[in-house]
Amino acid sequence: MLESAPTKQELIQEFIHEHVLTHSANGHTWNLPFLHVPALNCLRYDWVMLGLAVVVTVLVASLAARRHRPVPTGIANVFEAYVVFIRDGIAIANLGEEEGRRMTSYFCSLFLFILTLNTLGLVPFCSGATGNVGVTCGFAAMFLILAIVLAVWRRGVIGFLSSFVPHGAPALLLPILVPIEVISLLSRAFALMIRLFANMLAGHIILFAFLGLIVTFGLAALPVIAVVVALYFFEVFVVVFQAYIFTLLSAIFIGLMLKPEH
Amino acid sequence: MELSHLPLAAIGAGLAVIGAGLGIGLLWANGLQSMARQPELLPKIQVSMFIGAALVEGVALFALVICFMQMK
Repeated sequence: MLESAPTKQELIQEFIHEHVLTHSANGHTWNLPFLHVPALNCLRYDWVMLGLAVVVTVLVASLAARRHRPVPTGIANVFEAYVVFIRDGIAIANLGEEEGRRMTSYFCSLFLFILTLNTLGLVPFCSGATGNVGVTCGFAAMFLILAIVLAVWRRGVIGFLSSFVPHGAPALLLPILVPIEVISLLSRAFALMIRLFANMLAGHIILFAFLGLIVTFGLAALPVIAVVVALYFFEVFVVVFQAYIFTLLSAIFIGLMLKPEH
Repeated sequence: MELSHLPLAAIGAGLAVIGAGLGIGLLWANGLQSMARQPELLPKIQVSMFIGAALVEGVALFALVICFMQMK
């Protein structure tokens, strides 16, 4: 046990902090797993993970599209089931028939992209770019811009502004209600960002906090590894669920902006 | 790395989780009751329960993120 300047608690803090930052892609530079190429020092984990997710998403989708036959088999079959699930459950249910069919491809890509990014956080030599609040801020900004542009495009500027006026409200309360409605749109985007970011970050923090118990108590705390493995399985569920919730909630909120408040 | 207000941050995180637990527990209790009353609405109620759980958790995670910020 160290009695000098770094106390044991501070060492554990450093351990958790260092590993969480690496595994959540918060600005660490990236380099190849076992080689160290100085030219690659300009790359950061989040950029590499984002590029990897783009490659995976495009690859999966184009592989499925290439094998398009009247009776699909293999990966095209799985992909068609997935697209039908998104189209019926997320797009058409929240946006209506024709708008839902137009926006299905956006939600399919969004779900697959966020799922890939989240899953890369659990893979050994990769880190989770969605644990970086900047990446999820980008997703939330994309949702906000999409909601506003779609509302202005489909309903006109007057229609867009009238979506902030709840139907049947007395005119005296409007100076209070309209700012509240505007703030609620912004807070929905903010909540989308924080939900995805905090779920991914908290998963990693809990895992490393449990491993920090081994630092405190030595070899007697090894059974903690069983708990860590169980939490890892739960993380896999959280990864898929959070990607689904992000897509579903952004569809619901876009639908709320597009519907006339009758 | 300084430990600024770390015990208070831990207490705050615990309080945030109380709110999340209460919210999700109440939600699922009522959801299960309604699923038992009308089994034909099961898929819709299940989807709504998951959406509600995500919203409640999102709010609790706001508080948790502020607690995390005390670690720096």
